[in-house]
Amino acid sequence: MKRRDFLKTSALAGAALTLNFEGLQAALASNTMAVEAVPDLVAVMGGEPDVMLDKALEALGGISKYVKKGQKVVIKPNIGWDRTPEMAGNTNPKLVEALVKKCLAAGAQKVTVFDHTCDNWQKCYETSGIADAVKKAGGIIMPANDEKYFKDVAIPGGIKLKSAKIHEALVEADAWINVPVLKNHGGAKMTCAMKNYMGIVWDRRYFHQNDLQQCIADICTWQKRPVLNIVDAYRIMHQNGPQGKSLSDVATLKSLIVSPNIVAIDTAALSLFNQVKKLDIEAVSHIGRGEANHLGTTDLKSLNIKRIKI
Amino acid sequence: MKRLNSLKGVRVLLALLFFIPILLFFVDFSGSLPPSVHHLLEAQVMPALMWMMWGVVLFHVIFTFVFGRLYCSTLCPAGVLQDIINHLLCRFRKKKNGTYRFSFHKPLNILRYSILVLTGISVFAGVLNLYLLLDPYSNFGRIASNLFRPLVMWCNNGAAEILMKMDNYSLYQVTINTVTLAGFLSGVIALSLFIGLTVWRGRLFCNSVCPVGAFLSLFSRYSLFRISFDPSSCTHCGLCERTCKAEAIDSKNLHVDASRCVDCFNCISSCAKGGLQYRFRPDLLHKPDSAPAKTDASTCDSNRRDFLKTGVTLAATLPAVSALAQATDKAQTEDPHKWPPITPPGSLSIESFKDMCTGCHLCVTQCPSQVLRPAGFEYGFDYLLKPHMSYKNSYCNYECTVCSDICPAHAIRKISKEEKATTQIGIANFFIERCIVNTENTDCGACSEHCPTQAVQMVPFKGTLTIPHVNPDLCIGCGGCESICPVRPLRAIMIKSNEIHVKVEKPKDEEKKEVEVTDFGF
Repeated sequence: MKRRDFLKTSALAGAALTLNFEGLQAALASNTMAVEAVPDLVAVMGGEPDVMLDKALEALGGISKYVKKGQKVVIKPNIGWDRTPEMAGNTNPKLVEALVKKCLAAGAQKVTVFDHTCDNWQKCYETSGIADAVKKAGGIIMPANDEKYFKDVAIPGGIKLKSAKIHEALVEADAWINVPVLKNHGGAKMTCAMKNYMGIVWDRRYFHQNDLQQCIADICTWQKRPVLNIVDAYRIMHQNGPQGKSLSDVATLKSLIVSPNIVAIDTAALSLFNQVKKLDIEAVSHIGRGEANHLGTTDLKSLNIKRIKI
Repeated sequence: MKRLNSLKGVRVLLALLFFIPILLFFVDFSGSLPPSVHHLLEAQVMPALMWMMWGVVLFHVIFTFVFGRLYCSTLCPAGVLQDIINHLLCRFRKKKNGTYRFSFHKPLNILRYSILVLTGISVFAGVLNLYLLLDPYSNFGRIASNLFRPLVMWCNNGAAEILMKMDNYSLYQVTINTVTLAGFLSGVIALSLFIGLTVWRGRLFCNSVCPVGAFLSLFSRYSLFRISFDPSSCTHCGLCERTCKAEAIDSKNLHVDASRCVDCFNCISSCAKGGLQYRFRPDLLHKPDSAPAKTDASTCDSNRRDFLKTGVTLAATLPAVSALAQATDKAQTEDPHKWPPITPPGSLSIESFKDMCTGCHLCVTQCPSQVLRPAGFEYGFDYLLKPHMSYKNSYCNYECTVCSDICPAHAIRKISKEEKATTQIGIANFFIERCIVNTENTDCGACSEHCPTQAVQMVPFKGTLTIPHVNPDLCIGCGGCESICPVRPLRAIMIKSNEIHVKVEKPKDEEKKEVEVTDFGF
């Protein structure tokens, strides 16, 4: 019923306006793809980060489905802390490197990587191994240490958060990929795809002052959504997060989850996390509030999930 | 007519060899210079005195006794800065008004030696802060870190913005937030003083105010090598006198006051006839070079007498001064605004830090987190311009020991990363009545998030909410929690300083449990 309505209006609108059927054709094309059962979420386990990324993207129809030729692409990992990759404080540099390469291979005009860090930004960029990885892959690693790099953006869909200063690379980007690492978090209880948005904004203090969990759900309603969320769960920090204090906080799961649906991916990541440490979804309330903000579903059963073990 | 003068060349070369790296070290905000540059600063007299590095002091005494006050023209960055100011002035004015604008003046001995004695007292009694206010190196440091450095950063930001448009991020925006009002004013005052005195009367600062200059003059007046007249070649033209920044050349009486001569060798260049020469001229009994035998000997005697007199008088007042300082010790209060300053790890205690810091602000410039800020009067006069840990918008990085590595006065002793991780400089105080979790019933946890030792942990509160709890045995006072706490105006978690730093146990590593996860769980 819905599809028929959609087609009718599209056709009418197209005909009435410019008689340009390109848009309609694209809509039709993507609809067909959905019927061909491109999964809503892909989970991979048992490989190295770059290998798992390959498998996941393959299952999703290839990177070129998400990154188009000539686009300005931003990859937003978590680089929050002055921690080595073994400590799992930041996104795995191997994953970032592989992803930058893929985007460039898909014809991206440029690939920019940044994070508004918590520790000293230069130390974070360096110790995490991400600055080196990005440069090696041919991407641009951009600073985000000063308010000058951020631009005012309206968040009309927000309940507590109505506007924010977002990093200009992202404001100007044609497509962006959200690449969090899965961790325990003292404040938000868990940090994953939704929480990773806090690294794109300048004034995080506002979040903490005005209901952290709601603000996280609100910032995710910004109209420019990531084309993909890629959760790094190669190593996860299951306690003492988000910084961690020793290797005893880290569990190696060798997993990767990819989905355009941010609420679903965080729900799935939480389920994965729960196998190491018990954590209720009610406690990570930004996930539920994200669902209330129509960002996706927590009902994984309703989704087409593809699980790959290597 | 100028004469080629290799001595002057050597002096200028030495001056630049010391001055340029020191200046760059102060203004370098990117940390691209090797930290070993700070060793140049350990040769500074006042920090060496603070550190009781007698070897360095003795070296300068002997060196000055042999060669004169070459220190003031080469190693001392404030001296070189004044020479640069003078040089620029000469460039912009006509030769007559610029280069040859000085004339011989009598030394202001009472003034300079009184200041020397008072400064000596302030060093050893740890009161009055005179050594901090008058030390030439520290004044240069304050000029460089509070005026030159922000200027360089500001230019960098401009350039970074231009490069950014070309997708080049080799330069990046830097935030200037270490310059406090007190620090800025101290830089402005010192620079104006240097410019004013140099324009007016050359090296007047060095020969009447500077305690280091006065100290070295005690030895340079007997120096083995010195500049002296060659009466047979002198034509009494007076050019040398008018080019002498130290105003130490009396061309009428063919006498050079070695106690004020800073060995710049400008006079030698000025004399076409070779009437002045730097040569081995031991003068242990302080006989004059030539004619004005009597007058000179008597002034010298009276100088020494003055010096001793002032010394004794000032020494007598010492107990009274320290008693005064004791009385002003402030009482402990619960009001965070009245908490004592937090001093950096390695400084051992507030007292020890206060006694040794000369306020050069090198640590302020080198701290990668920009957490050290120069104090104004908020911690009393004897803490004026000394740096303290300000957790307003940053905190002390857990892995960093930069300030302790570079402090030239060793007011911040060198400590290892392990020592730092177990040195408690203060303790987090949690005020639940102000905490967001309690007042707004929402999650926050920013403080715990930033705690490197897990001293601030989130414990169950209402429902799924968790609230911070401080374990004082783990807290090292780094300020991670305070810097990020969103509550204003007073934050809900604040570091109260330990007046004497304390050792704490390193948080114990929990045993790593191997988890076997073979399924996705969804």
